[in-house]
Order: sequence, then C-alpha cells, then structure tokens
Amino acid sequence: MKKYIFLALLCVNFAFSQKELPNISLKDINNESFNLKEAFLEKDKLYIFSFWASWCAPCINELDELNDLQDEWKKTVNFEIIAVSTDDSRTQKRVKPLVNGKGWLYKVLLDVNQDFKRALSIVNIPYTIVVKNGTIVHIQNGYVPGIENELLAKLKSL
Amino acid sequence: MKKITFLLAFFSAFFANSQEKKGAFYGGFESNSQWYLNDTGLNIQQPNNPIRSNSYLFLNYNYDKWSAGVQAEGYESDALLNYNPKLKGTNLATYFVQFKTKKIEITAGYFYEQFGSGMLLRGWEDRPLGINNSLRGGRVVYKPTNSITLKGLYGQQRTGFDVSKGSVYGFDSEFILTDALKFTESEISLGLTYVGRDEKMEIVNQNFPDLTNAFAARVNFSHQSFYLNSEFNYKSDDAIIVINQPDNNFVKPGNALLVNFGFSKKGMGFDANVRRMENMSFYSERKPELYSQNGGSSSFNYNDKIMNYVPALTKQHHYNLANIYVFQAQSRVDFPDPNILKSGEIGGQFDFFYNFEKGTKLGGKYGTKIAVNMASWNNLSGKYNFYPGDYKTDFFGFGEKYFSDYNIEITKKITNKWSGNFVYINQYYNKKFLEGGEIVKTNIVGADATYKFNTSKSVRLQAEHMWADADKKNWASATAEFNLNSKFSMFVMDMYNYGNSDPEKRHHYYNIGGSFRKNSTRIALNYGRQRGGLVCVGGVCRFVPESTGLSLSLNTTF
Repeated sequence: MKKYIFLALLCVNFAFSQKELPNISLKDINNESFNLKEAFLEKDKLYIFSFWASWCAPCINELDELNDLQDEWKKTVNFEIIAVSTDDSRTQKRVKPLVNGKGWLYKVLLDVNQDFKRALSIVNIPYTIVVKNGTIVHIQNGYVPGIENELLAKLKSL
Repeated sequence: MKKITFLLAFFSAFFANSQEKKGAFYGGFESNSQWYLNDTGLNIQQPNNPIRSNSYLFLNYNYDKWSAGVQAEGYESDALLNYNPKLKGTNLATYFVQFKTKKIEITAGYFYEQFGSGMLLRGWEDRPLGINNSLRGGRVVYKPTNSITLKGLYGQQRTGFDVSKGSVYGFDSEFILTDALKFTESEISLGLTYVGRDEKMEIVNQNFPDLTNAFAARVNFSHQSFYLNSEFNYKSDDAIIVINQPDNNFVKPGNALLVNFGFSKKGMGFDANVRRMENMSFYSERKPELYSQNGGSSSFNYNDKIMNYVPALTKQHHYNLANIYVFQAQSRVDFPDPNILKSGEIGGQFDFFYNFEKGTKLGGKYGTKIAVNMASWNNLSGKYNFYPGDYKTDFFGFGEKYFSDYNIEITKKITNKWSGNFVYINQYYNKKFLEGGEIVKTNIVGADATYKFNTSKSVRLQAEHMWADADKKNWASATAEFNLNSKFSMFVMDMYNYGNSDPEKRHHYYNIGGSFRKNSTRIALNYGRQRGGLVCVGGVCRFVPESTGLSLSLNTTF
C-alpha cells in the first residue's frame, strides 16, 4: 500500500502542468504527414483532437454528433476537429471508407501503432483533448449523449 | 522497487528544473484490481491470493529535441487471472531516451516499432491482453527528404520483466514517389523491409540456420477516390514447432500476401481486404516456455515473445453475443491430430458503408447510415502428411472453412431525442479446427436505443439474441446503461445461456457497475461474473477462465 501512496504523491507533484503536444508525426488518410507540434498552431484557434477507432461505438456516436453540429458551432467559435484513429493494422483499412461513408468532414490522422495515444497515456477511448496555441487546455474522457453541450460551453470559455 | 524510486526522484528533479524552460511532461497511471469470490452457482472457487491487481505507471518527459520515459508495473499480490505468470511483483518495466530532429530520430532503450502491416515486426502494448513485446536496444530513423524514410534497429524483446534470448535486427524503408513521377491526382509509395531473428539453437545436425531472414515489399497507390495497397512477406526456412519443440525434420519457409483496395467518396465507401498466409508464426524465441507440466499452458498462449502482428481480418463487434465466437487468425502450422492439419489461412473481408442523406426517402429527417461487412476464412488446401510432418499447399486453394461472418448494421437518429442501432450477424465458427469441439452456426440480432434527456442525461437499452445450433446453443442478453450526467454512468447487464443442452450450465453472467469520469480520470467499479473463453482486443485473443468478483479500475493522466 505504501508504494501506492508514494506514487499518488508523485502524481500530485506532477499535476497541473501545462502540456504541449508531443513531438510526433502522423499521417492522415490521404497519406500527408503532420507534425503535432508544428501543424496545429494557428493563433488562438481551438483544435479538438478526438481519439476514436472504427470498432468503438460511443466514439462514432460522438463524431457523428459533432459532424452535424460543427457548422452551427463555427458561427461562434474558431475551432477545428481532428479525428485521431487509433485503429491498428487490423481495422485501419476500414477507416477511410468509413469516414467517407459517414460523410465526416474532419481531418483524420492515423495513429497506427498508437504512439500519440501512448504518449498521452490514454487508456480508454473516446478521449478528447482541446489544444490552444500548442498547449492542451481541456480534456474530456468518455462520451455520453448530450455532453457536446458542455463541450461547446467549454470552448466558448477558452 | 529501489530502481523505481530512484528513477522517479530523477524525473521529479528533471521536471522541477524544466519548468522555466518549458518542457512537456506526460504521465499516466492505470490500475485494475479484482477481488475473486467463490461462486457456487458457477461452481468456481476463488484462487489463491483472491485480491489481485495489475498497475502501470508511465512517465514521459519531452524537452526540445530530447524525450525520456519510464514505465513501472506492479502485479500484486499476483497478476489478474490468466495473465502471463512471468508478470509478477513490482518492477521497472521499460525505459527509453530519444533524440529527435526533423531528419533524424535516435532511440535507446525500449521502443515500439511496426514495419508495414506488422506481418514481420510489430512491437506494441496491450494491457488488457497482457502484451508488451517492445524491443530493448536501439533504433535510428532517418528522413533525408520528405519522401524518404529509413529505419534501422536492433533489440531483444521484452518478456515478463526481462528480455528474450533471440536477437532481432530490422531495416525498413519507405519511398513516396508521387513527386518524382510528377503525379498530381495520384499518390504512390513503396516500402521494403528486412527482419532477422537470430537465436542460437543446440541441435545436432541442425537442418535450419540460427538466423531466420524475413523480407517484405509493399506498395500503396491511390488515384482520386480509389486506393490499392499490397504487401508480400517472405520468411526463410525455419523449424516448425511440434509438441512445443522445434522439429529438426520439419523445416519450412513462410509467406504472406495482403491485398487491399477500395473506393470511397462522400457518403459512400467500399473496401476489400484479402490475405493469404502460410507458416507465418514468428517468435523471438522458437521454443515456447512451458508453465504447466503437461504443456497445456505455454508462453504461446499469452502471445509472449511474439514478433509479428497477425490480426484476424474480421469486424470487431460491439454487441456482447457477437463476441462469443471470435475468429483468431491462423498463422501457425499446427497439426493437433491426423484430421486437423493447418498451415495458414486464405480469405477476405469486404466492407460497404453508405449514408442516406438527410431529407431523402430512406434518410428521413436526420439521415440513415448502413454498414455491411462480410468475412470468410479457410485453411490452405494442399497435400498434408501428419507423420512425418509435411505439407505442400496450393497457392490459390481453399481448404476446410474456419470462419465466416456476414453482417449488416444500421444506425439511425429517429428524433432529436431517440437514436438507434440495429444489427444482424450470421456466423460460422469451426470450433473443431480452431479450438477443438463442434462446428457452430449462429444468427444474432441486436438492437440498441438511446434516449437523450435535455441535458447530458441519457439512457441506453440494448437487447440481443443469438441462435446457435451447437456448443453452448442459444443465448440472450440485455444491457441498460444510465448516464446520469457527463461524469457518472451506471449499467446493469446480463448474458443468459438459456439454451444450453445441459440444464446445469444454463448460467446467467450478470454484471452491475458504475463509473465516474472527470477530466482525464476514470474510476469504475463493477461486480459480476466473467464469462470464460476468449477475450479479444484488436484481433488478438487470450483465454480467460470463468470468474466472479468485484473489480475496481482506475486510470488517470497528469
């Protein structure tokens, strides 16, 4: 037990630090490469990275919902949604037809060997981070229907 | 433990120093604990050390061009049931230091690498399956231009808190030729891979070399909305494993061909994925470690020291009953008895996605999305000889059918508050060839409805039924999930094997639980029965025994 307390204390020590995105390059579904540290730096723009997979039902519900809402939201907030597929080579080939089949209008990055997911220690998806000026400013863990209202309120406050 | 304390202190100091300089620190902690209970209904006894947990602490620091990280793991007082028994105690598990610029990346320590599809080499971590087959050694990635990537590596593979005896060498290259060929609407890239596995064997008159060489070539091509990818893999002569021993008189090469093509545009997508593979099991140590005297439990069962990633190319369903008969890809040459002679697999998977737009007849007010998926897999046909072991396969020949899954899924938002999902699945599972047992044919229907209250309060109801003609026969399942707000969720579910031919085995597998989420933290508490069988993540499976108990999961990042 002692060691868990020790670990917990250490966690507290590390907490609340402002985080930049890790220095990782990922390809999108059109085979174009993006460095996370350099490609998403437009001043004061909010970048929403939503981690998902083709087999994750709540992830797909969330992205379906956001796809319907994003035009409306863009009237008040300057943001862009980036869907980060954590599909590995088992299901990665299904990503592109799925994205197009669903009519999603997102940039879709492929985190094929989960380097991005691992760097942020993400255990469960859906998992959403909001990045502003290169720094992670908000984390949403999981998805329940309706949570998008809270996300919008949060975006407005950032 | 001392090592960990030292490293944490080191990180702490590093971090404290770095704050002014603006480095980035990432950390994560995950713990899954289980209290196993006696269950007279299922006739199971709690194991020794009934309270067990698997915990992982990951710390990673990034400053300018440098990164460093460690992962500590604890399995106390033992690992959860049916995890690799080599995962024991608390210790430092992985560590790395990395230097990275635009053109070059150098890593020392443990790293995760995948070449192409992963058919020859993939290091990855999957905690629910107990897999962490990262390599310990060094890796260099060099990108002289935007269109060329070269990778070279050497390492030994992680097993338990140690590394395996075999040495792994790897080289991979990727060339994007689009600009060189002055393509404007098309893209093309090529890749070449080499992987070597060197393990000293002590066999008299050895008929195969210690070093196994494997090569692969791949091409990716796309033109507007059409794409085509293909990869061919070859593995040189190596001994087949027969009754847990490399057989010096049964030496064969292996190969695999993957072809994927598809077409997609807004509102529509089609994808076909076909694969043929023969003798493609690839481990950093040839001989499995045996954990029980009769050889019934070996390191192969835990995917320990596995070098390549050979996922089943089938749809991963999210309905409970659709995950009872799950196909595992057949890469191994395996002759369990004279009537079951397997050398690999051949088959394919087809997907079709379509979105009926809002406002159309079938789309209705909110649109309707359909997904059709079909997969079928067979053994390779050819001439087989049980003893002495030998085979000669046909290149395009379909042997005994292993598995098929034909399914359709429809997702629809009905009103602003109601949305639903419907699925029909037809499966064929050749349990005789895959695990031993009967051939099972199933039909599954499932429906899922979500009702959204005004705020983030919602309820989700899911009902499923499976008709199966053999094995455990029919099942029914229901789930209710309540999302009280964006932070709290609760669920109850039951899977009932009411059709079992043996009335004593008509068990309920019930579970009740709740979870709390805030920012990056999630805590979940669950009580119930775990159905025994395959637990699969990403097409890789592990057997778990039946159990009953209370589980607590915690994960957070900082």
